[in-house]
Amino acid sequence: MRRWGRELLINALAWGIGLAWIVPFLGILMSALRPQSELIHGWWQFSSFTISLDNFVKAWNHPTAPMSQGICNSLLVVIPSTILPLFIGAMAAYAMLRFPFPLRDPLFLVIVLLMAIPQQMVAVPLFRFLRDLGLINHYAGLILVHTAWALPWVTLFLRNYFSTLPREIEEAASLDGASRFQIFTRIVLPLSLPGLASAAALQLTWAWNDFFMALILIYDPEKLVATQRIPLLRGQYHIDWGVLTAASILTMSVPILVFALLQRYYIRGLIGWTLK
Amino acid sequence: MDQFLPVLKAAEEKLGVKIQYRIYRAEDLSQVLPPQFEAKQAPGDVIFMWEWWVRENKDHAVDLTDLWQKEANQFVLQPTTVDGRVYAVPYVLWVKPGFWYKKSFFQKHNLQPPTTWEEFLALLDKISAIPGIKKAIITGDGVGWPVGDIVEHFLITFGGPELQQNLIAGKVRFTDPQVRSIFAERLVPLLGKYFSDPVEWTQAIDLWWNEEYGLFFMGNWLTGMVKDPNDLGVFTLPGARGVVGGTDWAFIPKYSENVEAAKQLIAFMISKEGMEVRAKQGGKLASRKDISPDVYPPADRALAEALAKVEQPTVPDLDDAVGGDWQRLFWDQMKLLWVRPQALDSVLRQLDAKFPTK
Amino acid sequence: MRLHRVRWERIRRWGAFLAFTAPALALISLLIVLPAMQTVALSFTDKRGAFVGLRNFIEVLSDSDTLNLTGFPPGPPPWGSLVHNAVWIPLHLPLTVGLGLILAVLLERARGATFLKSVIFLGMVTPMIVGGVIIRFLFDENAGVVTAIMRAVGLTALGRSWTAYPETALPALILGSVWLWAGFSMILYSAGLATIPRDYYEAAAVDGAGPLQQFWYITVPSLRPVTMVIVAMTILWELKIFDIVYTATLGGPGGATMVLALQMYFYAFRALEFPRAAAVATMLSLFTLIVGLWFVRTLRSSE
Repeated sequence: MRRWGRELLINALAWGIGLAWIVPFLGILMSALRPQSELIHGWWQFSSFTISLDNFVKAWNHPTAPMSQGICNSLLVVIPSTILPLFIGAMAAYAMLRFPFPLRDPLFLVIVLLMAIPQQMVAVPLFRFLRDLGLINHYAGLILVHTAWALPWVTLFLRNYFSTLPREIEEAASLDGASRFQIFTRIVLPLSLPGLASAAALQLTWAWNDFFMALILIYDPEKLVATQRIPLLRGQYHIDWGVLTAASILTMSVPILVFALLQRYYIRGLIGWTLK
Repeated sequence: MDQFLPVLKAAEEKLGVKIQYRIYRAEDLSQVLPPQFEAKQAPGDVIFMWEWWVRENKDHAVDLTDLWQKEANQFVLQPTTVDGRVYAVPYVLWVKPGFWYKKSFFQKHNLQPPTTWEEFLALLDKISAIPGIKKAIITGDGVGWPVGDIVEHFLITFGGPELQQNLIAGKVRFTDPQVRSIFAERLVPLLGKYFSDPVEWTQAIDLWWNEEYGLFFMGNWLTGMVKDPNDLGVFTLPGARGVVGGTDWAFIPKYSENVEAAKQLIAFMISKEGMEVRAKQGGKLASRKDISPDVYPPADRALAEALAKVEQPTVPDLDDAVGGDWQRLFWDQMKLLWVRPQALDSVLRQLDAKFPTK
Repeated sequence: MRLHRVRWERIRRWGAFLAFTAPALALISLLIVLPAMQTVALSFTDKRGAFVGLRNFIEVLSDSDTLNLTGFPPGPPPWGSLVHNAVWIPLHLPLTVGLGLILAVLLERARGATFLKSVIFLGMVTPMIVGGVIIRFLFDENAGVVTAIMRAVGLTALGRSWTAYPETALPALILGSVWLWAGFSMILYSAGLATIPRDYYEAAAVDGAGPLQQFWYITVPSLRPVTMVIVAMTILWELKIFDIVYTATLGGPGGATMVLALQMYFYAFRALEFPRAAAVATMLSLFTLIVGLWFVRTLRSSE
C-alpha cells in the first residue's frame, strides 16, 4: 500500500512539473496555430478560437527562406558535427583518464578553460583562418568548427562519465591480452551508451541551434541552415509572429525527435549486469 | 517585402537579369559584412544599410557618383557622400509623422485631431475617460526605436528641426536647459498618465486597433499593417515644423561579382518608372519630387497630402544619424525613462556621457 | 637488454596516448586556441595595433556599464555587467542543478517518462532567438502567463511587464534561463543515474534505509562526477549568457540586464571597438580560469 502511494506521488509530481514546464511552449504553439489578434490577451483566451496550419505551410514553402531546405541543410551539418566530436572526444577522454601521462592534468585544465571562450570574439580570426583554407561557405568548415567547439565539453563530460565505470572489467580484458584500442571500442564504449546518448542529444541540439557560427561562415541562400532562416522570415518592419513561431516549431521538431529516440539508451544497470 | 517584390519583378523584366531578394536584419548584416569584406567577399550585389554604417565602410563601396548625377535634382534627399563621392543612394522614404488614430473611433466618440497643445492635452483627457480605454496612448517597443521616435517628435516640435540637427552634430548637449525643459515640461508629465508601458509594437497595433488605446505613434509603414488602412488618420504634434523621415541607403560592395548589373538595378529603382512601381504598393513614400500623390493607395495619399504642410518631412532620425553603440544606448535609456520618469536627469547625463566624440 | 625494453614500452605508451588525443588536440589548437590567443593579444592593443598594456581593461572596468555600485544594494539594477553576471550565478545555479536532479530522479520511475523528459528538454532545443522572445512574452503584461498569475493572486506590482522595469527584468531573464537550461542537468543526471548499480539500493533497503536516505547517501555521492560537470558547465553558461538577453531585453531597460557577453558584442559590432571587446572577452575567460582551477582541484581530490 505504501509503495502504491509513493508511486502515485512520484507520478503526480512528475506530471505536475511537466505540465507547468510545457506552458511557455504552448504559447508558441498557439501563436503558430491561431491568428495574433486572438492572442493579445494571452493564449489561454478561448472566446474566439480559430486554428489553421497556414503558418506552417507558409514557413515550409517561404519564397526567400523555405524551412524545408533549411532543415535538410541543418541535418547535413549537424549529423557529422555530432558523430565526429563524440568519437574524437571519447578517445581523448579515455586517454586523459587511463593513461599516466605527465602533462595530463594541466592539459585537461586548458581544455576546460577553452569552454569559456565566447564565440563572438573569435569570429573574425576564425573566419580569416577558414578563408585561407578555402572553407568558407562550405559545410566542411562549419562542421570542423562545431566539432572543435564541442570537444572541450564532450571530453570533459565523457572523462567524468568513464571515471564512474568500474576498472575491473577493463583490467580483466587487459589481462586477457586486449589492446587499449580494443578495450576502448569493445568494452568502454558500449558500457557508456547512456553517457554517449546524452552527449549526442546535447551536441546535436547545440549544433542544430547554432546561429552565430552559421551566420559567419555560410551565406549562400541555398545553403542557409534552419536557424538562419528564422530571422529572415521577418520583414523589414513587419514581424509575422505566426510564421515565425511556426518556423521555430518546425526547427525544434528535429532535435526533440532525436532526443526522444535516444531515450532508449538510458538503460539502467547496464553496469551491474555486465559485472555479473 | 511583398511591397518590394513587384519592383524587382519589373526590374527583371526590363533589364533581363534574374534578381534574388534576401532579407537580413541590419544588425545581423553589421556582423556578417565586416569579416566578409575583409575576405573580399560580399553576400549581395546591392545592399541596404544604415547611412552611418556605409559612411564608415565607404572603402568597401563602389563609387556611384555618375549614377547619381543623372537624377540628382529630382530628390528630396541627399545621397551619402564622403569627400564629394557618392557611396550610397537613397531609395524610398519612410516618415514618422505622428500619432495615428482610427477615424471610426474618433467619429464614435466625437473627437477631433488637435490644433494646439492645449487641445492635445484635452484630447488625451477625453480619450482616457472613455470606458474600455486603458491609457490614451499605447507605447510601442521592440529593440526600442519606437520609444525613441516619440521622444524625437517632441524634440523637433518644441525645439525645431534645428535642435535635432544640433543634437546629432553634438553642438547641443542633452543636459542643455532647452532640451531638459522639453523633456521635463512636455514629455515627462504625460508619461505615467497617458502613455502605456512599452509594449512589443506589433502587439501594440492589435491592442490599439482593438480600441483599448486611442493613439499610437508609429511610422508610415503602419498603413501596410492594419486591417483597414482607409480607417487611418494621423496628426503631428501641434506646431511641428518637421518630422523624422529617412530612407534606406543602397550601396554596391566592391567585391560584388555583378557590379554593372547592380548599377543598372539601382538606376532602375531610383528612376521615375521604378519608383512609381514601388509607390503604388504603399507603405513608403517616394523620395522623388516628380511622383504625383495619385499613384499612392488612399491611406498613403492622405499622409502625403498631410505632410505637404510640414516644412521638413525629412529630418534625420537622431539615433540612426549618430549610430554606433549610442543608438542602442539611446533606445535603452528612453525605455528606462518611460517607466522611471524621475530618473530624467541621470538619463540625460548618460546620453551626454556616452555621446561619441568625433 | 632490460633498459631497451623499458624505453620501448614508454614510447609505445606515449604513442598510444598521442594517437588517442591527437585529433582532439589538433582541432582544438587550430580552431579554438589560435583564434583565442589572437583575441587576447588584441585586448592589449589599441585600434591601430599599437601596444597599450592594460589600458583597455582599465577603461572597461571604469565604465559604468561594467561596474555601477552606486545603488547596490538595495537599489534596483543597473549595477553593471560584472555584478549582473555575478548575481545570476547564485540564483540560477542551485535552481538548475537542483531541479535537474529532482526531475531526473522522478522521471526515472514515472509513467510516460520519455514524453515528460522531452517536454523538459524542449527548453534546450528552443533556438535562442526564440528563447528570448518566449521569455519576453511569458512576462508580458498583456499576453504573459506569469503576469496573469500574479494578477490573479493579487501581486499586481508583478503584473506589469517584467522586462519593462529595471527591478524585474533581470529576475525574469534568470527564471527564463532556468526553464531553458534545466533540461541540460536533467539529461546528464539521467545518464549518471544509469551507472549506479541497483544492488546498492537493494542492499541499503535490506539495511532498512528509506527512499530519502537512499537518495542522500547513495544517489547524490555517486553522482558527484556528473554534478561537477553540470556545475562547471552551468556556471560557464551563466557567464557567457548572450542570446536570450539579446532578444528579450537587449541589455535594458537602462542597462539593467547588461551582461558581459552582450557588452562585448556591443563593443565589437556596434561601437566597432574591437580591442575593448577583446578585453571583455579576456576578462570573461579569466573568470572561467577560476572555475576551471576549482574544478580540476576538486577532481584531483576526489580520486
